Amino acid sequence: MEKYSEEQLLEKLRDPRTQRQGFAILVSEYSERLYWQIRKMVLSHDDANDILQDVFIKAWTNIDNFRGESKLTTWLYRIAINESITFLNKKRNQNNVSVDDENSFLLNTLESDEYFDGDEAQKLLQQAVLTLPDKQRLVFQMKYFDEMKYEEMSDILGTSVGALKASYHHAVKKIENFLTDSN
Amino acid sequence: METRINKLSEIDRRNPFTVPENYFSRFNEHIMTCLPENKIEKTKKVSLWGKTKPWVYMAAMFMGIFFIIQLLTKDAANQAVTLSSTQFTDDYWSTVQITEEEFYQYLEEQLVNDGYYDYMYNQIYTN
Repeated sequence: MEKYSEEQLLEKLRDPRTQRQGFAILVSEYSERLYWQIRKMVLSHDDANDILQDVFIKAWTNIDNFRGESKLTTWLYRIAINESITFLNKKRNQNNVSVDDENSFLLNTLESDEYFDGDEAQKLLQQAVLTLPDKQRLVFQMKYFDEMKYEEMSDILGTSVGALKASYHHAVKKIENFLTDSN
Repeated sequence: METRINKLSEIDRRNPFTVPENYFSRFNEHIMTCLPENKIEKTKKVSLWGKTKPWVYMAAMFMGIFFIIQLLTKDAANQAVTLSSTQFTDDYWSTVQITEEEFYQYLEEQLVNDGYYDYMYNQIYTN
């Protein structure tokens, strides 16, 4: 498929005659990246698939309101993160879980998911990551797995670079403590 | 076998999650069929009245403000004239200093003058 710059893509998305074609390009360009971001938050493939669909439908219905103040990627990531966090909160309310045990349902999801083929160490790492609060988990995943730049993370999460660095540093410490304690 | 890990660096960074085969290409096709078809209809035609309505309302508002200001400034000017004439009369009589005697004399002179004029009138016109 032909590569389009963000400006060219926006031009297509703003013109009602080429909007649908532009959106197809946007989907093929960003679906994979957004999927992995969502998947690392919700862990299950089926849930990630449903959320990704919701993200693109929301993006489509709101594309006319997108004024280009931020990058398309940033805008899409924000929708994806909001949808993932909303989904997790809804799940927690449905399962009526206690604060201490709020991510145990995610661990169960991971263990029963046929699309997880990590070894014991990776399972342990996922378990450790699940002990982090949602926002910190997000910061850790963006930095550790996706190797995203702090500046880009700052645009998406609306948090300063300094705060993100501190959050990541604390997340690593918590995870390493968890790993040591689990030995 | 028990896993003993102390550092993050000891864990393989490889993505442990997988997706079904051809998932992304199928997803991209599928999502395009799920999108609602309401985009082009959104650009509806705006009538001439619709375009000019805000300007007409704004003009009417300015006209209203203009007339209210006119009315208020006119009233204020009238009030100022009335006030100044009343003030003048009051000021005038407060500065005139005549005795009672002088006043009666003035009235008497007026009566005499009036009587004289009546006499002359009768002499000239009624005879």
